[in-house]
Amino acid sequence: MRVSADMEVLNEVDILLLPGVGAYPSAMRALHERGLVHYLQDQAREQRPIIGICLGMQLLASASHELHYTVGLDLIPGEVVPLTEPKWHIGWNTIECVQDDPLFGPSDGQAFYFNHSFMYQGPAEYQVCVSRHPTPIPSVIRRGNIIGLQFHPEKSQAAGKALLKNIISRLAHA
Amino acid sequence: MLKKRLVGVVTVKDGWAVQSFGYKRYLPLGKPECLVENLDRWGADEILVQVIDRSVNGSNPDFELLERLGRLGLETPLIYGGGIRSVDDGVRAIQSGADRLVVDSLLHDDLAAVRGLSERLGAQAIIAALPLSWNGEHVEWLDYRHGSSSSISVEVLSLAETGIVSEILVIDWMHEGHQDGFEQNLIRNFPLSGVPLIAFGGISNSNQMAELLQMPNISAIAAGNFLSYREHAVQKYKEALSGMPLRLSAYESKYPTLTHV
Repeated sequence: MRVSADMEVLNEVDILLLPGVGAYPSAMRALHERGLVHYLQDQAREQRPIIGICLGMQLLASASHELHYTVGLDLIPGEVVPLTEPKWHIGWNTIECVQDDPLFGPSDGQAFYFNHSFMYQGPAEYQVCVSRHPTPIPSVIRRGNIIGLQFHPEKSQAAGKALLKNIISRLAHA
Repeated sequence: MLKKRLVGVVTVKDGWAVQSFGYKRYLPLGKPECLVENLDRWGADEILVQVIDRSVNGSNPDFELLERLGRLGLETPLIYGGGIRSVDDGVRAIQSGADRLVVDSLLHDDLAAVRGLSERLGAQAIIAALPLSWNGEHVEWLDYRHGSSSSISVEVLSLAETGIVSEILVIDWMHEGHQDGFEQNLIRNFPLSGVPLIAFGGISNSNQMAELLQMPNISAIAAGNFLSYREHAVQKYKEALSGMPLRLSAYESKYPTLTHV
């Protein structure tokens, strides 16, 4: 794994991973400052696999209402809206696959670590898995090779490691 | 369904992990990395590392410790507290490997900085730590740097009510380190309802944990000293708490040996 904002480095990897802890407007500003908004949109058009994690997943959407309205990467149609009641989704929750997808089927029913107060809201066709809190929250979204994970697989111990291994090996060898 | 959490706490003083008793007596346990690595291996739901001498000494967060912990490749969410004096300190702590922050002194010193942290990192990353005691009638809030107690300020309660912080760490500081010590009145009589609370301090047995986990405003229970007395303590507690809304215990042999001893 390589951590970089340098496009020459990013051009060499099999999968682009967009992590994120923070607020939406400052994250989008940081991507703009590094010239990565157009870069990621170009890579998506070329069908390169992109995985967004937590805030990184939300950045894939068209826009967010966090703090103020901010346009996102617009790689998966939909908007990011606040959770209402309860206002937080913090801790370990199971995911429930609502579409057949070999990348996520093996993880159906497993618990992963969530830590967010905003959620994706968009067409059902892009929602692969949901988690209940108590109403359904999209926990995995997908449009082709663009994948968003609302939870943190890298902080979800054995279940997270198994999920990452499955999706990375399948995407890298697709 | 969202599970409630069992948080493993590592308290650090003078660079060493310590057992802490009532905020006044400390016994060394060893390298913080060893304890954190154990909690990660045992499947704690979150790990809280609190460095208790940073704010007292006026120093910044222990970034070196965070970087050493980062090198362990933890697979458990890490909460850090200690010496966070500004938005920049908090952002750097996150960049150094913390997933969430817990603030205590900052609640006395600079509420604007707490708001700034929330705006920059998202409220889900910010926890307010309140060392509390029960005087038989109401809850009192300790400023541990001066040893003085008062009512929880309206401004601090407002941070939780308005969603500037996502959870409150309720610390029973008087009973910290005492077997079965946690005073449940701190939860039952907490001045706000509907704010998720993490109970910590003197939580040692599974019956007491089960009672706390059944309280609607409890999102997590945290234990420190009592996880240090036996191997696989997290799994053992979780097995004793079957039927509670916790993630199941798991055993994973990830480390052939501890990596840095």
